[in-house]
Amino acid sequence: MSQSPTTRPRSTRNEFELLRNVTVGQYIPTGSVVHKLDPRAKIISVFILIFTVVFTKSLIALALLTLLFLGIVLLAKLPVRYVLRGVTLALPILFFISLMRVIFPNTGDDGGKVYFSWLWISVTRASMHLLLMGLIKILAFIFLTSVLTMTATTTEMTHGIELLLKPFERFKVPAHEIALTNMIALRFVPTLAEELERILKAQASRGGDVALRKRQWNPFKAAAAILPMVVPLFINALRRAEDLVLAMESRCYMGGKGRTKFVQFTARPLDYAVPVLAIILLIVVVAIPWPSIHTFVPFLGL
Amino acid sequence: MNTIIRLEDVHHTYQAENSNGIKALQGVTLDIYAGEYVVILGHNGSGKSTLAKHLNALLLPSQGDVWISGEAGPNGAAQTWNTKDKTHLRDIRSSVGMVFQIPDNQLVATIVEEDVAFGPENLGVPHAEILRRVDWSLDRVNMEAFRHRAPHLLSGGQKQRVCIAGTLAMQPRVLVLDEATAMLDPLGRKEVLAVARRMNQEEGVTVVAITHHMEEAIEADRVVVMAEGRVQMQGTPHEVFSQSERLRELQMNTPQVTQLAHALHARYANIPQNLLTVDEFVGEMAKHARPHPASQAPASSPQSPIPDPVIQVQHLGHYYMIDTPLQVKALHDINFEVRKGEIVGVIGHTGSGKSTAIQHLNGLLRPHEGDVIVLGNDLSREDIDMKQLRRRVGLVFQSPEAQLFEHYVGDDIAYGPRNLGLSREEVRERVRQAMEAVGLGFDEFKDRMTFGLSGGQMRRVALAGVLALQPEVLVLDEPTSGLDPFNRSQLLGRILALRDRGVTLVIISHNMDELAQVCDRLCVIADGRTVMQGTPHDVFSRPDELRKLGLDIPQVTDAMHRLGAGTVLTVDEAVQLF
Repeated sequence: MSQSPTTRPRSTRNEFELLRNVTVGQYIPTGSVVHKLDPRAKIISVFILIFTVVFTKSLIALALLTLLFLGIVLLAKLPVRYVLRGVTLALPILFFISLMRVIFPNTGDDGGKVYFSWLWISVTRASMHLLLMGLIKILAFIFLTSVLTMTATTTEMTHGIELLLKPFERFKVPAHEIALTNMIALRFVPTLAEELERILKAQASRGGDVALRKRQWNPFKAAAAILPMVVPLFINALRRAEDLVLAMESRCYMGGKGRTKFVQFTARPLDYAVPVLAIILLIVVVAIPWPSIHTFVPFLGL
Repeated sequence: MNTIIRLEDVHHTYQAENSNGIKALQGVTLDIYAGEYVVILGHNGSGKSTLAKHLNALLLPSQGDVWISGEAGPNGAAQTWNTKDKTHLRDIRSSVGMVFQIPDNQLVATIVEEDVAFGPENLGVPHAEILRRVDWSLDRVNMEAFRHRAPHLLSGGQKQRVCIAGTLAMQPRVLVLDEATAMLDPLGRKEVLAVARRMNQEEGVTVVAITHHMEEAIEADRVVVMAEGRVQMQGTPHEVFSQSERLRELQMNTPQVTQLAHALHARYANIPQNLLTVDEFVGEMAKHARPHPASQAPASSPQSPIPDPVIQVQHLGHYYMIDTPLQVKALHDINFEVRKGEIVGVIGHTGSGKSTAIQHLNGLLRPHEGDVIVLGNDLSREDIDMKQLRRRVGLVFQSPEAQLFEHYVGDDIAYGPRNLGLSREEVRERVRQAMEAVGLGFDEFKDRMTFGLSGGQMRRVALAGVLALQPEVLVLDEPTSGLDPFNRSQLLGRILALRDRGVTLVIISHNMDELAQVCDRLCVIADGRTVMQGTPHDVFSRPDELRKLGLDIPQVTDAMHRLGAGTVLTVDEAVQLF
């Protein structure tokens, strides 16, 4: 024990810290303009921007949009590296999509210049274009959703969605119920995560394998291995649900009828301006005949 | 006095599928008066929680009636509602607010203030009035500073205070605490009780507290003792606690000071036997010239060869969420040592890091700084045999019954031994031994349904599940929490008997009385550091330092300190000094 702790390699891995891997999408309070925006305005705007990205056919427009989103990330004072962590998580999927694009080229495209061809696989200018578009679109989506979830608390989102759905209540859309169940679910995520961690640790202490870590390809064995974790989790969740029902009844919950709301949002001019700007952007992007990228960057069209 | 709740011959039978049902209440007649502070005591299964759920119509009597009185109207006559009358459900539930055992399961919102607003929202209170009530309620429970926090980041006591605020926001006339302190540490318990008392005294709210902590009954206006679904005793705390034999029959115990007064009363008739608090006891003793306790000679421990250490923890440091922006340092400098055959107690309030510290003992967590050597294994090394270590060091978590998963008791206990790859006969033998060690008959219990057992029995099954691994060291986190006094002392006895089988024990507990009685050494942890270490005698002879850390000392130790009799750890020891 005379050894200094720094001279020897030590194991710092923690098999059980579940929350550590789900840092993406967590609320980061920086108090920026974006944070202060009405959640309803944010939700609507992000929706419109997603549509904008989906409808863009031009690589140039898409690149400009992505730059704009990066600008919003900076405006929100979010650490860019942290946002990009979401991208690294998506890398395997991105790679898979790219592979599929190459292996199963869209038969509809005209091909254009052929770079590489083997059996039915041929890498053409059109397929490369589509591939690039697909990748940038996914990057843009990650930026957009990150801005939303990192600048609006889950509670704000819930209230925002409830208020946005309110007008549809006459069409039997259960706005209040959706919001309340959402809220309760969010409320219990950390509680149940802690619970699962405790169960995993307890079963590991009894000589069990931490089932979430070990790959088991035999489905029956896999099921048997996770049973000691899942059964107590479910039983405890049900017990909590029973308690919660009693507690809610005790506090006079009898459905959404006749309820008043504690949280109220008042929209400021900016909260109207942002969605309007988003709509203008959508129109501009879709309506303008963007020139082909090849006119600017000829080497891409080798 | 105005009756605010009246129970008339209330019976309640839980419907069971096959049998005649369980008779939880068998004719309870009880009046609760406006402005009273009533404590209802009873062992697990005495019917006290069933009774509580009748007070706001969560349960309805199978026979008999429950009447709730509302605020007196302008003409002076108060309305009275029968809980069976569904049209007044809202009135009844907003008049009688209820707080339950587990704070986590009562909070609906992700932000404290929104949770407090939930009741008034349901009652359709106008927006401006909700704001006022939320402010007022949070202020009354001293949680103003936490109003924008997420509930899961609060301590148990804080969460429970938020639950109380959520009830207060409905402006109830009665506050029912249904074992609301059972799952809290001593600090949290004090916080909650202080709030209840303040609401009672300053706002005139009637309080009905259901508990099995005797200490909580001391300051009540009236104590009601329940057993077998009936009211067995009631009266002022002094009246009830003077009948200690009767209480013991009902599986309740009395505060340490009361036990001491009883024992002394038998010897010196002029000492009253119904003393409840340390103040009363010390005051009473001052009145009498004699008897006076002899100052205790410092105990000289017999010189026996010091056994080898099985656990050495030196300068242990640990981070949560290491290498992320959310990294927090949970442990700074933990030091302790456990020798073979010892019982070591770990003390510290919730959040001090003691649970994090003991999770290093079987390698669930790895040290980030410092050294942890357990049974010769250096836990900083990557290459140690974890499975082997976890077999040798058994770790029992708090409320371990929450981790049971098998349908039958025997199968659940066999989980550990089966993971070791033992033969059928060996597994069976180990299960048998483990069950006997916790006092569950093998033939009687092995084929019982796990989830049909009582709470105390389930806890014993969970303990047996770890014992079946035949560990050399057993680490227990709050082994007796949430149990009533009877089950508590039974389980503790079983755990102590393990020492005779050569098992080394590490016990985390908030119950200072227990630790003072059984431990060879204590380790006090605060803010991720070891701040005190030594024999119980050493540690409890520094009461001021312990109090500064928000920790308690046993009642009897406190009383004897104040009488200048040195450090005394148990009632028996104290009696011998007189």
